[in-house]
Amino acid sequence: MKGTQLGEFEELVLLTVGILHDDAYALTIFDELQQKTNRKMILSSVHKTLVRLEEKGYLQSYMGGATAARGGREKRLYELTQSGIKVLNQTKELRNSMWDNIPKVVWEGRI
Amino acid sequence: MKTPQPPKWARKFLHWFCRGDLADAVLGDLEELYHRSFQTNGKRHADWHFVLGVILFLKPFAFERKSKSTNSNHLIMFKHDFKVAWRNLSKQKLYSSIKIGGFAIGIASCLLITLFIFNELSYDRHFSKDSQVYRVIREASFDGQTSNGAHFPHPFAATLEEEYPEIQMAGRFRFFRFSGAGSEVRRLDKPQSQHEKSLAFVDHTLLQILEAPFIKGNPTNALQEPNSIVITKSKADKYFPDDDPIGQILLLNNDESTPYKITGVIADFPVKSHFRYDFLISLADREFYSGEGVNWRNDNYCTYLLLRPGTDVAAFEQKLSGMIEKYFLPPRLQAGREDDIAWVKSFKTKLQPLSDVYLNIDEVGDGLHHGDIRYIWSFGAINAFILLIACINFINLSTARSADRAKEVGLRKVVGSHRVLLIRQFLLESTLFSFFAFVLGVGIAWLALPYFSQLLGKALIFPWQESWFVLTLLTGTVIIGIIAGLYPAAYLSSFKPVKVLKGEISRGSRNSSIRSGLVILQFAISVVLIIGILIVNKQMNFILDKKLGFDKDRVLVLEGTHTLGNSIQAFKNELLSLSEISSATVSEYLPIEGTRRNNGGWAPEGVQLADGVSGQHWAVDPDYAQTMGMRIVKGRDFSSGIAADSSAVLINESLANSLNFENPVGQTIYNWLGAWTIVGVVEDFHFELMTKEIRPLGMILRPSNRMVSIKINSNNMPETVKAITGIWNTFSPHQPMRYTFLDVSYARMYDDVKRTSNILTVFTILAVLIACLGLFALSSFMSEQRGKEISIRKVLGASLGNIFRLLTLDFLKLVFLALVVGIPIGWFLMNRWLEDFAYRIDTTLEVFAIAGSIALLIALLTVSSESIKAGLINPVKRLKE
Repeated sequence: MKGTQLGEFEELVLLTVGILHDDAYALTIFDELQQKTNRKMILSSVHKTLVRLEEKGYLQSYMGGATAARGGREKRLYELTQSGIKVLNQTKELRNSMWDNIPKVVWEGRI
Repeated sequence: MKTPQPPKWARKFLHWFCRGDLADAVLGDLEELYHRSFQTNGKRHADWHFVLGVILFLKPFAFERKSKSTNSNHLIMFKHDFKVAWRNLSKQKLYSSIKIGGFAIGIASCLLITLFIFNELSYDRHFSKDSQVYRVIREASFDGQTSNGAHFPHPFAATLEEEYPEIQMAGRFRFFRFSGAGSEVRRLDKPQSQHEKSLAFVDHTLLQILEAPFIKGNPTNALQEPNSIVITKSKADKYFPDDDPIGQILLLNNDESTPYKITGVIADFPVKSHFRYDFLISLADREFYSGEGVNWRNDNYCTYLLLRPGTDVAAFEQKLSGMIEKYFLPPRLQAGREDDIAWVKSFKTKLQPLSDVYLNIDEVGDGLHHGDIRYIWSFGAINAFILLIACINFINLSTARSADRAKEVGLRKVVGSHRVLLIRQFLLESTLFSFFAFVLGVGIAWLALPYFSQLLGKALIFPWQESWFVLTLLTGTVIIGIIAGLYPAAYLSSFKPVKVLKGEISRGSRNSSIRSGLVILQFAISVVLIIGILIVNKQMNFILDKKLGFDKDRVLVLEGTHTLGNSIQAFKNELLSLSEISSATVSEYLPIEGTRRNNGGWAPEGVQLADGVSGQHWAVDPDYAQTMGMRIVKGRDFSSGIAADSSAVLINESLANSLNFENPVGQTIYNWLGAWTIVGVVEDFHFELMTKEIRPLGMILRPSNRMVSIKINSNNMPETVKAITGIWNTFSPHQPMRYTFLDVSYARMYDDVKRTSNILTVFTILAVLIACLGLFALSSFMSEQRGKEISIRKVLGASLGNIFRLLTLDFLKLVFLALVVGIPIGWFLMNRWLEDFAYRIDTTLEVFAIAGSIALLIALLTVSSESIKAGLINPVKRLKE
């Protein structure tokens, strides 16, 4: 079914939102992802993904947490929705079951 | 401390394009990043990344969501307007191409002229300390006449530097020779000299003030030593292609007693710079006569200043005048010459920004090469005229065809179009036309640029990489499109729908009075321009053919002959042995601008020199008058056989008149060299530009051996030149022979006038061409409109002649009116131009008659083809329609 599948970057963003919990907004997600994946990325692509994930219903957002460094502007904070959590779980389960199906000989063959 | 702020415009830009619910959050994120990067990398870096960040948000997801339905009407109307405009354009191919073609030619010529004007205005703009660098000039009045000068005494610069703390640096420059002559330059270790014109004496500070970039050597000590010299890169490459020029020796005029040591190489001065010399000789410890360093009465040095930052220039200018009282006046008071004292008392010192030097609006007499502000004005005026003519074409053609569009306008109004919308439609249409014309015009200008540069004698380039240029072109497109479309738009959109649909708007004739007025204006301008080129050309021919009082034909002038030294007489005798040579004379005073002059004055016996006649004395040899073909009107020529002629003088008629001598021959007159006996009077001859009167002049026998003039009586010029070269080479093997012809040098004096006349001719032809294109389209339109009328007339028995007269007479009337308007204006303007010349043609009626006939003839030719076509058409065809 179209729409339930997650792209790799989308999955990473969703997971990061989960990790950051209370303080998940574009910039922290951007920082966290850069640090974890060691990849160069641009801020606008994080925003873009967040917007799309919200449209798909995996995330919801609220405004809050203005600081002086932001010129007094509020953050758009994100949190996982139920379906967001569900889709993460599905992805994980799919992965797990696929891992399980790999015959042992493959792993041993590598030694 | 104020917290740093990212660029405001970038924030505004983001707000403008980004969707409202996202913008704040995005901006907040970007600002956080900004502060982070500000702390680690500084403001520039942070600003740059902020702007980059904003630009990276230019993606579809971030844009304002526009529901399609709200805006589609506008979009569709725009598309529709474009479509209609395009259809109109392609339906009427002839009109469209004339409209666009005429406009494009206009734009191309405007563009070229504008490039020229910008080029002239952009001299000396390359100084980094622009507001601190000045040249000192002085205003002086004498006999009620004010003049500006740029030359000051030897000690002026150094004294200024001592007296005024505002001055950071002062530097002088002095011409190598005031006649503008150059020198023979030779590498010590090479046998051959080469002639160079661009030599100057400078202080080492001047190079620093003028920011000459040193390639080798260093600006502070390059010219510190006497007889050191700095040369430009191009000359270094010429003389030392394989060696390091630093430390090498150059000889000037083969003078081995004063070797010049090269201590620096600088980059060539920019083309757009008033100061462009290639050999810069140190002024350190240099006096041109003993005591010059303390002499305040002899002005030979241009003085440049670098002021300290933050100096109040106006106040400093005031303070500078203290110099007059303190230094200029005392020596004169001592000498006690009243007129001299009065003259110095009238001095006003001023500071001139270097960017003003080239155009020389203050008319400073500094002997440098200048641009001419009058060219800029006259070219600007032509520019405006051409554009006006092109715009008028556009307006005329649009309104003339209004009948075709009347029904369209009526129908649009009936179905509910507002007037504003109609105006928008027509403006859009004219902007589209203007856009095509611009593209075409820029193309034409680009192709024509090399030829135009050649015509001007300047290298112009298209400043494509400058954003202002492209931006100006684009705004020009829109502005001209709107201006040219405004009247047609207002006119067309004013039609009353009922009247139009009933057919009451008679076909295109209602506004004919305005249209006629515009045609008159167009042709009046053309007539003025035609008169202009006729008179300029006539004056030009007058100058070149005028009886000059000397014979400039077949005279070959050898230059740089002073290096022959004492053997110059032997050289001359050798030349005279050639049968092709009728006479030769040794003198560097020639009746050509730019050769040597010597002002002083003459006084009769018993009169102080100061109260005598101002005039020149020329040093010549006994064969001068004969070689130059001058006529002796009284007395006799010099004679080499008479020893007493060493104190004889040959004067011109002007001097004889100024001295009020009834019988000048035998009288004694004085100049500062001594007493002279007049042996003869030579007929007045022109030795300056025709813009000046012939001034008093006396010739004496003295050596002045930089030039030898040779009168040739053979028609085989190449053979003769070869023979002369042969003789030259035996006398001076080190130096190639340099020669010019007197008539060529004479014509070169009027290069500028000739150039103006060429350019004027080209643009006049263009202006007339554009005007004719318009007239042609109008006439073809008229004969088309009156097709039925003509057919009926033909059926009723009108001849081709009748029809022709009917159609052309209307237009000829307009052109005739244009003559009435244009001729007085042309007469007035050209008389003003001619006033500059002391010797000028009369503006006779015949010039205006010719100009008028040309205009009428061109108009007639333009109109007649369409009229004849209309007259030849088979009436049945047209009536059946």
